[in-house]
Amino acid sequence: MDPKTRYKIETFDIEPDRFEIFAPSAHRLEFSRREFFATLGAGILYVISAQDAAGQQPERIAMRLHLAPSGLITVLTGKVDIGQGLRTLLTQAAAEELRVPPHQIRIQTADTAITPDDGGTWASLTTPQTVPVVRRAAAALRQAGFQPQALQQTVASSVTLTDPKDWKILGTSLPTVNGRDIVTGRQQYGSDLKIEGMLHGRILRPPSYNATLTALDTSQATNLPGVRIVRDGTLAGVVAAGESTAAAALALLKPQWKESPLPDPSTLYDHFRKTAEAPVFQKGSRYPALLEAGAVADAMRTAARRHQTTYTAQYIAHAALECRSAIAVWEGRKLTVHCGTQAPQVVRRELAGAFRIPLADVRLIVSTIGAGFGSKHRGECELEAAALARAAGKPVRLAWSREDEFLAGYFRPAALVDVNTAVDANHRITAWDFHNYNSGAAGIAIPYTIPNYYCGFHKSASPLRQGSYRSLAAVANTFARESHLDELAHLASADPLQYRLRHIEDPRLRHVLEEGARLFPWPSRSKGAGLACTIEKDARLALFAQMESPAKVARLLLVFDCGAVLNPDNLRNQLTGALIQGIGGALFEAIRYDTRQVLTHRLSRYRLPRFADLPAIDVHLIDRRDVPPAGAGEAGITLVAPALANAIFSLTAERRRALPLSPSPAFKT
Amino acid sequence: MADPIPLHVNGAERRITAPAGLSLLSALRDQLDLTGAKYSCGEGQCGACTVLIDGKPVRSCLVPAASAAGKRIETVEGLERNGVLHPLQQAFLDKAAFQCGYCTPGFLMASVALLRRRPNPTPTQIRSELNGHLCRCGAYPRIVEAVRIAASRKR
Repeated sequence: MDPKTRYKIETFDIEPDRFEIFAPSAHRLEFSRREFFATLGAGILYVISAQDAAGQQPERIAMRLHLAPSGLITVLTGKVDIGQGLRTLLTQAAAEELRVPPHQIRIQTADTAITPDDGGTWASLTTPQTVPVVRRAAAALRQAGFQPQALQQTVASSVTLTDPKDWKILGTSLPTVNGRDIVTGRQQYGSDLKIEGMLHGRILRPPSYNATLTALDTSQATNLPGVRIVRDGTLAGVVAAGESTAAAALALLKPQWKESPLPDPSTLYDHFRKTAEAPVFQKGSRYPALLEAGAVADAMRTAARRHQTTYTAQYIAHAALECRSAIAVWEGRKLTVHCGTQAPQVVRRELAGAFRIPLADVRLIVSTIGAGFGSKHRGECELEAAALARAAGKPVRLAWSREDEFLAGYFRPAALVDVNTAVDANHRITAWDFHNYNSGAAGIAIPYTIPNYYCGFHKSASPLRQGSYRSLAAVANTFARESHLDELAHLASADPLQYRLRHIEDPRLRHVLEEGARLFPWPSRSKGAGLACTIEKDARLALFAQMESPAKVARLLLVFDCGAVLNPDNLRNQLTGALIQGIGGALFEAIRYDTRQVLTHRLSRYRLPRFADLPAIDVHLIDRRDVPPAGAGEAGITLVAPALANAIFSLTAERRRALPLSPSPAFKT
Repeated sequence: MADPIPLHVNGAERRITAPAGLSLLSALRDQLDLTGAKYSCGEGQCGACTVLIDGKPVRSCLVPAASAAGKRIETVEGLERNGVLHPLQQAFLDKAAFQCGYCTPGFLMASVALLRRRPNPTPTQIRSELNGHLCRCGAYPRIVEAVRIAASRKR
């Protein structure tokens, strides 16, 4: 079965933008108490499904906490640490509610044999979803005095959480709990792991993007000592005792390929239009693909003025610094994979399906990850390692190269966005017609009060493999919306800030804009200033930018309100990082390809933000203890492109509607 | 297999047998279990594999292990002494100059070399010196602050 459908049925809804979850596997191929205590040692394991007063959450998530005789309390979570501060935030949540010092808490991240399935580590859900569950479980345990009998009663009668105004550990900048391991080099990432007796694998990659293997001459490669050639369905690879032998053997393979060309990249956006499907409303979806109100066509007819524009965004790469790797170990028909996926349960299902074994026979143990940004949701590398290990009859480690990352992974979708609006005689927006082609539904909702609107996401056929990226399509959609708003303000000869405020009712969104205007200050006396605002994943944010030239940002000022702040320093770090990452996608990052192959397949050909690109950055947090915290790992990235595009317009009077805004000449397509 | 190569790593004599052309990065990680230096791009673009040879920062993914024979190699694992962090390690920790931490060992080693050569660098000098290193999480502003703090504490 399609892994997306399966996952949806068994767990919870996934946004329509997660294209990689829909995609078929990279290749077609012809728990017990023991694990808990082997990992955690002796002690008491509590399984707590604590509901809130309304009986709402946490539906199906049962939290697991373990108390060791030493007093060490382990919180078990199916989430993983990708640099977002998961261990630190959950340590704070547990310590706060258990009234114990943070050093008494340990966080056990995803190991499918022992941790609960609390969803993939994506969509900024750790804060709004995992933290409350951990808090409730910890509070229940404390109120029950750690007594299993009393715990049952406590849970049944619901628990009382610490009021945010009384927080002593949450709401403070607890330092990163694994910080010392990071600075000493002791932090183990998936690619650092070794297993006794493991062999090394390499996968044969096609010379062009969609080529398929038709014949393979292995005669020379098999002459190397200890080399095993593996062919399994569409997969071909080698296994050897050492990585260099595996690489040498791979070079001796003589494959024949059947190539199949990609559509000409210059026709990409036409291709999206031609293959587009009509938007479909999905009830209960986190990001509905269709939102509408009023009568757009009527409002367009009676408009004082109409404005029609099209915006585009190229494919870009996640380029997390750690490349994927996996170690697969078979014991009979049971499979264990050590890896660094953001979505252990998705990959686990994928592996069970590919090898036709029961889900219970697949165990994924996830290490700390050298970042993901949405790139590590599928089991491409895990599947390849497991296929090689099955053929070799021994544990196999497969480490992807940077080229593998570019050529065998997936990209952030390219986007085509049409925006068509109508205003009345007072320049008030009366109709908003918004169509995203190919990239996704995230961020199509409008934070402005407009009586008639149609916002739709049209699925299209993507020539390149595409999938989740930090904040999904909200980057492209917010770029289109906030650029268009600026254009309307300009046409109305109005200040872009005042023009936005005239259309905003949400008091928190108004506040971040007004606060930003005060601090920046806005209106700016110099040319080259631009701004943008949004409501993203329940957070309210406004970004003010000053450009030095169309290719260089001088200053960014972000005002951010995501409700109660759990860890101010970690949040600032995340937001600053999101802004810097956003500069790359806004100004110069782009995947280039021709009809045969992706051409930007190395870091020397794919430019990423460096020190030289760094502006002065101010991040202002608005801490609202009365509002439940929204996730914040992604939202900061969504405003960079529009704020910079608007600043470039202020600087040059040129309206740039294509991302990247300022590609370097060598990178222009 | 080639002849054994003597490597002088973090003050200790180590010996490895490596196939011709094996990179210093692979030798450190796979044969000596020093996994602090990281692979990321394999072409000297990111700096994650940076170690010091005779005090100079090098991209260990591009240096053959054999060429480092007999030279003084320093890696992130050698910075902490008797449980006391190097001032740069302490400053990176104090400023949380990282997110995922994958690039941190490379930044630390390049910064160690920088401060030895230039004990009191300006922010501009730090940025230009470290421009060859990538932090995809975007901890750059904190890294500059951490290097400045370490420099001020050393004085």
